[in-house]
Amino acid sequence: MVGEFEYLILSAAAHLDEEAYGAAMRELIETTGGRTCSLGALYITLDRLEAKGLVETWLSAPTQQRGGRAKRMVKVTGAGAREARKFYETVIRISRGTAWGRGRRNWLPEDVA
Amino acid sequence: MKGQMGIGGMRWRFVEAAAVLLVPLEREVVLGDLAETESSLWRGLRDVLSLAARRQLALWRGWRPWAASIGLAMPASLFLMGWSVAASGAVASFLGEPAQLTALGLSLSRLLLVTCWAWMAGFVVSSVSRGTLWASALACGGPCLHCLSLWPGNGLSFLRLLVFLVPGLFGVWRGRRDLRLGLSLAAFLATAGALAFLISGKGGWMYSSSLLWPGLYLTATAKRGPV
Repeated sequence: MVGEFEYLILSAAAHLDEEAYGAAMRELIETTGGRTCSLGALYITLDRLEAKGLVETWLSAPTQQRGGRAKRMVKVTGAGAREARKFYETVIRISRGTAWGRGRRNWLPEDVA
Repeated sequence: MKGQMGIGGMRWRFVEAAAVLLVPLEREVVLGDLAETESSLWRGLRDVLSLAARRQLALWRGWRPWAASIGLAMPASLFLMGWSVAASGAVASFLGEPAQLTALGLSLSRLLLVTCWAWMAGFVVSSVSRGTLWASALACGGPCLHCLSLWPGNGLSFLRLLVFLVPGLFGVWRGRRDLRLGLSLAAFLATAGALAFLISGKGGWMYSSSLLWPGLYLTATAKRGPV
């Protein structure tokens, strides 16, 4: 099963669809996920996902906006989508019955409630 | 926005300089991402340096950097320094006393062996792990600098200690270009390595095997058939 950060990257790539590349994915992870994301972590994780066959990457044509430099485009493969779904369903299943999932709301610690 | 870099500005130059640590394709992609997001200088530097550090760490998880630096560059530098001194010393003494033709032949063959071996070692270090050449250079340069600091002599005798450097560096350059050699050249170099092993015949099995494995590696990975 994929890890948490791998899942974030798969989800960001799926969200951005044809516009999925390093800078855009980082921005989405940072704004939506509320966490910092270094390009180092992003590209190393992308390499790992590509080695597992969960994403495909390729270089786009250079653009003026980037000083004439290419983008590393990302596409989630079928296997990647299945792995992401597996992670998502596992999180949902294990969260059922917890205070932060559904039910037992009165169990939440004071600082969270 | 304050603290952001414009492409071409002084801050951008720092990030571009740091990005030299990345391979060319990745450098282009990362600099493009940073240019697009207009990151601050520190964020840009952190991004580039963290990626370079992670790439290096990933390389060192495999056997190749260890084999190239500790398994070859370091023992090879010790071995080649000894051979360089012996070979160049014998040639120099012949020039002073030209009567001993047999001694000259022996010295020249040693010199040839040093040249072949240094080229082979440079090639293997470079082709086995080109991403960590800096570590192999340190592993080779450390013993060289240590011996030079102990070496009693003038500039010319310094050169005697480092006869192997030129063919070694040439081998590194070729290894960066071609990862494999043709079978005949690889077999020739492996034979030269085995000869060096037989002639030196000292230093224990670990030292001796470090002399043999580059030749075996080259032969095992050589291009077969028409090149």
